[in-house]
Amino acid sequence: MKTVKGPKVTTPARAGNAVKITRYVLGVAGAGLIGYGLLGLPTKLGPAELIGLLIWLAVAVLLHDGVMVPVSTLAGAGLTRVGSRLRPASVAVLRGALMTGAVVTLITGVLLKAQSVARILSALDGDYAANLLWFWAILVTLAAILIYRIERAYRVERGGSGRGERQ
Amino acid sequence: MEKLTNALAARFASPTRSTRLTVVLGRWLGLSFTICFLTGLLSHGLQEPPSWMFFPTRPVWIYQLTQGLHVTAGIAAIPLLLAKLWSVYPELLKWPPIKSVAHGLERASIALFVASSLVELITGLINTYKWYPWPFPFRETHFWLAWVIWGSLLLHIAVKLPAIMEHWRARPGRGPAGASGAVAPAQGFNEDAPLADDGVALTDDGAAAPGHWSRRAFLAAVGTTTGVVVLTTAGQSFSWLHPLNFFAPRAMGTGPQAVPVNRTSADAKVAALAGAKDWKLTVSHQGTSRSFTWAELKALPQYESELPIACVEGWSQLARWRGVRIRDLVSAVGAPPSSSLRVTSLEPEGNYRIMSMPNVYVQDELTLVALELNGETLDLEHGYPARIIAPGRPGVLQTKWLQTVEVL
Repeated sequence: MKTVKGPKVTTPARAGNAVKITRYVLGVAGAGLIGYGLLGLPTKLGPAELIGLLIWLAVAVLLHDGVMVPVSTLAGAGLTRVGSRLRPASVAVLRGALMTGAVVTLITGVLLKAQSVARILSALDGDYAANLLWFWAILVTLAAILIYRIERAYRVERGGSGRGERQ
Repeated sequence: MEKLTNALAARFASPTRSTRLTVVLGRWLGLSFTICFLTGLLSHGLQEPPSWMFFPTRPVWIYQLTQGLHVTAGIAAIPLLLAKLWSVYPELLKWPPIKSVAHGLERASIALFVASSLVELITGLINTYKWYPWPFPFRETHFWLAWVIWGSLLLHIAVKLPAIMEHWRARPGRGPAGASGAVAPAQGFNEDAPLADDGVALTDDGAAAPGHWSRRAFLAAVGTTTGVVVLTTAGQSFSWLHPLNFFAPRAMGTGPQAVPVNRTSADAKVAALAGAKDWKLTVSHQGTSRSFTWAELKALPQYESELPIACVEGWSQLARWRGVRIRDLVSAVGAPPSSSLRVTSLEPEGNYRIMSMPNVYVQDELTLVALELNGETLDLEHGYPARIIAPGRPGVLQTKWLQTVEVL
């Protein structure tokens, strides 16, 4: 009688051990690298520079957690009101366009600030403000066209099928 | 206090957040951080080589690629990090903030991870603008923080591995389960609730969440945003993206002789020394030394190398360089071509006034003491009267305004 070998089965206990070992190795390696980095910093930075770095680290977190997320949440709440009249696809286009515009504006804002204080030969010599305006113009136009087409298609479909309720 | 944090959590609630969303964003962010870390290590190793360092010289655009990837992946990481942090924001509002010593350590490691990542990306971006508004040295801080960040990434994966594994793959037809709790479900919304056909999140009672967007749409928007910031900046590093370069600090084809400049002659205070009529390049080896005027260098056999100049700030530019092979100058003082060199600039001061050149570059037939750029005599801003150009090296090591070459 021929014996047919089945697929190799990994027992949950064995898989659990593998996960445990992986977590242990990653955890030890991670903690080691963190320690290496933290111990390396004082070899190159003086006390005043280390304090300056600590301040930057703290301010970065405060600005992000205390300003950026609350502001984006407020903006999101406003969009929820505006978007509640739109189809889900239109909401996604609207929110996605604003997300893209906001991030590009954030990066370009820093670039414009740098341009005002650190102009050097053959760097930062683009007309970034104009580029940003063009970018927003294109973004708004594309988003408006997409939203218009989505809403119109929905209205046509709703009119054709005779159903009025939102899906 | 718990009531206050619960009230805040309700304010920040969003049905878009889920463990699955966080895992997907974490994968993208982990990849970009890893690219940054590995390419950054290579760049650091090329500038401060350990004894075992290898020096890749082929393809000649190797450093152009790795450093372009470094800066581009760093820029891509900005929207990814913001989205990832947004997806786990309710964790910040949990009460009590620390439940045990182990939990406290985990929270501390995440705080370090987040703070280091934000500072690394912000300062890294601003460094490419040649603007330094911080009270610490950029290069050293960037290097050591990179170890902290990548170590934190590994530790974070170790802590969250069960949740990562559980949510690694999408589960068609239902929302991702939040059993392992990498992210708190938003109040008023249930992670276990089903998704509508188009992926929009649903509330506890199964009603659609009007005005909100689906997790899939959120991910698509994050991907699009990342793509846009990459496409509109990476043209400083990759010529095929040059037409879309709207927001990078550098553009290809700009600067004297159509090549960008980093350190100017004014910054280096070399204009008078470089323009002196009695300028000579001195090459020395074990007590033997020879000095070459510009005309004498020009009278030696000339070779042309088409090599990119690639800066640590990510910009690069392919150019035609013409001049004397460095190995010919080494031979002129009786040294073997397998020698290493110490090259000194006319700059009176500066971190890169003295440059070490390992023998792999000295032997390379493409490494030149360049006298011409793109068919013209070198512009002062590009290192007149003579500069080094070698394949696969960071721009800061392509020493300009040469003064001496010592064979070691």
